[in-house]
Amino acid sequence: MTRPDLGGRVVFVTGAGAGVGKGVAEAFGAAGAVVGIGVREAASAEATADGVLAAGGRPVVLTCDVTDRDQCDTAIRTLVDDHGRLDALVHNAVSARSSEPTDFEHAELALWEEHASVTVRATYRLAALAFPHLEATGGSLLLMTSPAGIDGSGPMPFYSAVKAAQRGFVRALAREWGPRGVRVNAVAPLAMSPALEHVRDTAPDRYARVEALVPLGWVGDPADDIGPPTVFLCSDAARYVTGQTLVVSGGRFTGL
Amino acid sequence: MAESTTVVVGGDRGIGHDLAGELAHRGRTVEVVSGAATDLCEPDAVAAELRRAGAGAPVTTVVVAHVEAAALVEVALAEMGEQAWEAATERTLRAGVVVLQQVHAVVPDGARVVLVLPTVAAAGVAGLVPLCTAVEGLRVMAKALARRWGARGITVNTVEVPLAAFVLGAAEAGTERAADVPAVPVLSEPALPARSAVDDVAGLVELLDSDAGGALTGALLVADRGTVLQP
Repeated sequence: MTRPDLGGRVVFVTGAGAGVGKGVAEAFGAAGAVVGIGVREAASAEATADGVLAAGGRPVVLTCDVTDRDQCDTAIRTLVDDHGRLDALVHNAVSARSSEPTDFEHAELALWEEHASVTVRATYRLAALAFPHLEATGGSLLLMTSPAGIDGSGPMPFYSAVKAAQRGFVRALAREWGPRGVRVNAVAPLAMSPALEHVRDTAPDRYARVEALVPLGWVGDPADDIGPPTVFLCSDAARYVTGQTLVVSGGRFTGL
Repeated sequence: MAESTTVVVGGDRGIGHDLAGELAHRGRTVEVVSGAATDLCEPDAVAAELRRAGAGAPVTTVVVAHVEAAALVEVALAEMGEQAWEAATERTLRAGVVVLQQVHAVVPDGARVVLVLPTVAAAGVAGLVPLCTAVEGLRVMAKALARRWGARGITVNTVEVPLAAFVLGAAEAGTERAADVPAVPVLSEPALPARSAVDDVAGLVELLDSDAGGALTGALLVADRGTVLQP
């Protein structure tokens, strides 16, 4: 597979300790980038750092709880101070409760705030903090959204709303930052997550029904299926692409 | 004695205000929940307002036409502070959650819920990132709730109108109030001749509240006379 060459480029991936974030970080590593691995606890970045290194990239572990503005600021400054630039920021982190079904009608507002703080407020915060650095390199901001933010998921209404909010953010900010030379895009993946791995291992019949809805026949691998399109959108090969959501779902979602 | 009540949340200004008047003119019993006088982020306050509105007759139709005033201010994202983001984006989304939670608690099976929002998020508007963010979040929240509430026969749909119509209602462009409307670049001209957006939306609310509209839920109806033609 031909991959974009991101040698000398610096990217920052939030929520990169596991799942999609880990896979995306490894894909950036395979493209030769310096990869900032944003995690809440540094110890949880070990596997990702090993993966980025093995893929050919240079890992940099950054403690970054995206609900903490100071930590976001410090992480971005550290990456730029130590490596001289920032070419892409990928905001992938989600609430730890994001995959739980939500009883919307009776849910406490605190649960909504948890979703919103990680996905909506942190999106604004990271974008604002990264902007001068992205403008300096002609870089790009990429948000990992979800098909739920397009279709609307009945079991996950809060998650659907915050992921959709990110898509509105992308469209508007792409118009605002385009004249400044910064691109803004989103990826909506159907990817293997810890929750889906649990289903695969404990309820194979249910998992088979999930796979049967995917025309290509499998749930995406974070590194091999979700990572490369994400890297593409952050590379010069996508220099004329902004304001878009790329649905990477094996054909499961075609309604956009 | 009325048999049912139509509530317009955000019916104190803009399209909500004029829509409430038009729906009353068409014979409905209409109650307004003001977005200015009621803190729509406070569940108890919203619940009390909905109880008041339904005191005479059950609330069977709810129109929600509210975004926070702070979201209607043009500002560059990189120049706005966290408090401004909170006031514009987070409060608009939070109010949507609270209002829709309380609406579900008060309406009977078979009720009709219609969100009225500006079309800005369809293509995105520079300077209005907070508004576009909140509007798209609310639109897809409505889709998720349509899936959830269908078992009760409750439909949830969204009608979008141009931003000027959302802010001004039936007022004429070029009036003093038009200065309150952030500039939205014209990406394409409307296909149809101009007409009052209030009439357009009132007609769609009546359609959605009729047997003919009973199969529509989770839908987006763009009442902009053929301007934003989504893919």
